[in-house]
Amino acid sequence: MLSAQRIDENPCRPRHFRPPPPCAPVVPDERAAAFLDSCRSRLVMTAALFAVVFIVVTLRLVDVVLLSGVPVDPRLASNHAAAAAAVALPRPVRADILDRNGRLLATTLDSPSLYADPRQIQNADEATKAIRSVFPQLDVNEVRAKLTSGKSFAWIRRRLTPRQEYDINKLGIPGLYFDHESRRIYPFGDLAAHVIGFCGIDNNGLAGIERALDSTVKSSRDPVQLSIDARVQFILHEELTKVMADFTAKGAAGIIMDVHTGEIIAMVSLPDFDPNHPNRGEAQMTPAEAKDRVFNKVTLGDYELGSVFKTFNTAMALDGGTATLTKTYDAAHDIKIGRFTISDYHGKHRALSVPEIYMYSSNIGSARMALEAGAERQRAFLSKLGLLKPVPIEFDEVAKPHYPNPWREVNTITIAYGHGISVTPLHAITAVSAMVNGGVLHEPTLRKVSPGAEPAGDRVISSKTSEQMRKLMRLVVQYGTAKMAQAPGYVVGGKTGTAEKNVGGHYIEKKLLSDFVGAFPMQDPKYAFLLLVDEPHPNKDSHGYATAGWTVVPATSRLIERIAPILGVPPVDEASPSITQALAIASLQGKKIEDY
Amino acid sequence: MNRFGSVFWLVLVVVAGFATFKAKYAIQDLEDQLTKVRKQTIAAQSEIRILNAEWQYLNQPERLAELNKKFLNLTPIVPKQLQERVDDIPLRPTPEPATPPDLIAAASGGTPEPAAGASGPTEPSRQVAAAVPVAAQPPVAAPRAAAVLAGATPSRPTPVMGGTGTPHAAPAVARGPVPHVQLAKAGPASLDSLIAQIAEVH
Repeated sequence: MLSAQRIDENPCRPRHFRPPPPCAPVVPDERAAAFLDSCRSRLVMTAALFAVVFIVVTLRLVDVVLLSGVPVDPRLASNHAAAAAAVALPRPVRADILDRNGRLLATTLDSPSLYADPRQIQNADEATKAIRSVFPQLDVNEVRAKLTSGKSFAWIRRRLTPRQEYDINKLGIPGLYFDHESRRIYPFGDLAAHVIGFCGIDNNGLAGIERALDSTVKSSRDPVQLSIDARVQFILHEELTKVMADFTAKGAAGIIMDVHTGEIIAMVSLPDFDPNHPNRGEAQMTPAEAKDRVFNKVTLGDYELGSVFKTFNTAMALDGGTATLTKTYDAAHDIKIGRFTISDYHGKHRALSVPEIYMYSSNIGSARMALEAGAERQRAFLSKLGLLKPVPIEFDEVAKPHYPNPWREVNTITIAYGHGISVTPLHAITAVSAMVNGGVLHEPTLRKVSPGAEPAGDRVISSKTSEQMRKLMRLVVQYGTAKMAQAPGYVVGGKTGTAEKNVGGHYIEKKLLSDFVGAFPMQDPKYAFLLLVDEPHPNKDSHGYATAGWTVVPATSRLIERIAPILGVPPVDEASPSITQALAIASLQGKKIEDY
Repeated sequence: MNRFGSVFWLVLVVVAGFATFKAKYAIQDLEDQLTKVRKQTIAAQSEIRILNAEWQYLNQPERLAELNKKFLNLTPIVPKQLQERVDDIPLRPTPEPATPPDLIAAASGGTPEPAAGASGPTEPSRQVAAAVPVAAQPPVAAPRAAAVLAGATPSRPTPVMGGTGTPHAAPAVARGPVPHVQLAKAGPASLDSLIAQIAEVH
């Protein structure tokens, strides 16, 4: 619209005012208009283009600055938050395993292996010399050959120690690299080999606790605490090694158990191996020896434990009411059944009371007690003690007991004194713990039971029977077959067993299995023990005997004297009235006790 | 007004933008620090694991036993060393028996003169001990110590159990190989003379 027109239309214009004539006649110029139009549209296009670019840039800026952008590779560290999150604390491949006092039994360490990229090695001779300064045992020519091979990869040495890694790094040779792997380390070596077990090269548990708790150990960051006490384990290991050497035995085994919780404080099976190198030294062994080494006698070996079973036999008769401590049985005459004759090792040839049968370890008396109680009751009682099924423990490696089926009269007789039924040592100690702890059977466990969380257990005998069993077991150590088990102050009680080994259906007189099972302190038992030695041979000190009384019993005495202070068992005066009265058997008072 | 508003918002935008960038960079710094600390922690933890394993390795019982043999020669505790009561400790010094001047003083009811008493300053406890009429009884400590020394060989368990009449009297505590000392001479003599006797025996 032109200004002249506007003035004309204005009703308030002065009357005398005339609109000035137009400066130039408005002549529509089509060419100019077209040119102007195209210019305008070009401008708009350019502006729009710039606007779009600027909007994109702005959006990207907002994205980068305020919305922290798209996720990028944290290793490039361009994104700080992502980088920080990526450096999370790594979880070990397998959690640590500790003993009950927090000592490290198994741990996983980063184990570097040294390799070279020979193409990057500038001076092979110098590098060889430097490497050999760290590993003098490496062969010069071999290393040089590796470094000059021209390939892109060559292992120099696997599984370095941290110090060796440091030394190699210090050399500063370009072209040497480390490959980091996780490796399981057992700082105590063979100390608890069968308990802990070992791992394969791929860090999977293959034996022992490593296998039993494989998933727990792999998924947990927190260490797994076992019930084992490394100090007690060591002492048991040492004493058993000594027994094995003294009597040139084929093997030995031992367990120490907390009678109130079922925790296994120590568990040794000899011969054993070093879990750090489970296969080392196998080349020099026969296959049988190599197999025996990894065989856990405590949970896998089922043995006819011999007279130890008289403990369960006596408890059955006393608890079932078929016998009392004053009752006597005829032990003068051998029992003949079928082709078997049951006789006594040290026959007294007279009627014996129940304590005497137990103390002198009379087979005849025990057999008569069992016959009186009956096969059904015997079977039910042993079943109640868990002796007829595998022990419920964390391990996978548990043996199934062997017992006769059908359970005939002759079996009742032989089982009374521990033949014709084979159980693992772990079965025996679990049941004996129940005999002495007041009559409650606890499942054995290898994991630490925190105080206050003790399992309830199942009552298997009355507390009165348990008290009687304690007295009887004490009697054996005071006057019976285990006199050498005395550990003055610690009131040891127990029952010995010496069984002939059954090889191919025949009992062999020379192949013995001597064992001793018991508890201490007997006036209030805290710990049960079982020591077993496989095929001991008599030596000079044992006067030609290889029975339990001469082999494992003296070892038990030494063992208890050493472990009791560690386990916090205070010594008492064994002759003090409170102790003697607690363990005295009324029916034997004033009677003359024959020397065993 | 309009113009003032525009300026206000513009300033606000600038300030807010500046503050945002400032905060952003501060956070980046902190995150970098965090990354660094985490890396250090990992390195330290891995080192701790190694040291722990090494410490445990050095603490192998066999090795400790060897070191003990070499440097300390300690022996395991035996029950003889663990006593329930303080009185059971053998050869423990006990208050000396009352000296005659003390007794006279006690009998006369007056306090003893410092000059009349022992050469050293008399402790109150000794005065109390003197005040009770102990003269008739032999001192307790010496026979106990002597009994401990005499009862060195642990008597074998008697084949007859319990009921012969007298119950088991609590005998001496010591069970180790301690030399025999003739008790008859020791009697109620003072502790010093007893020790002298033992020295003679040796």
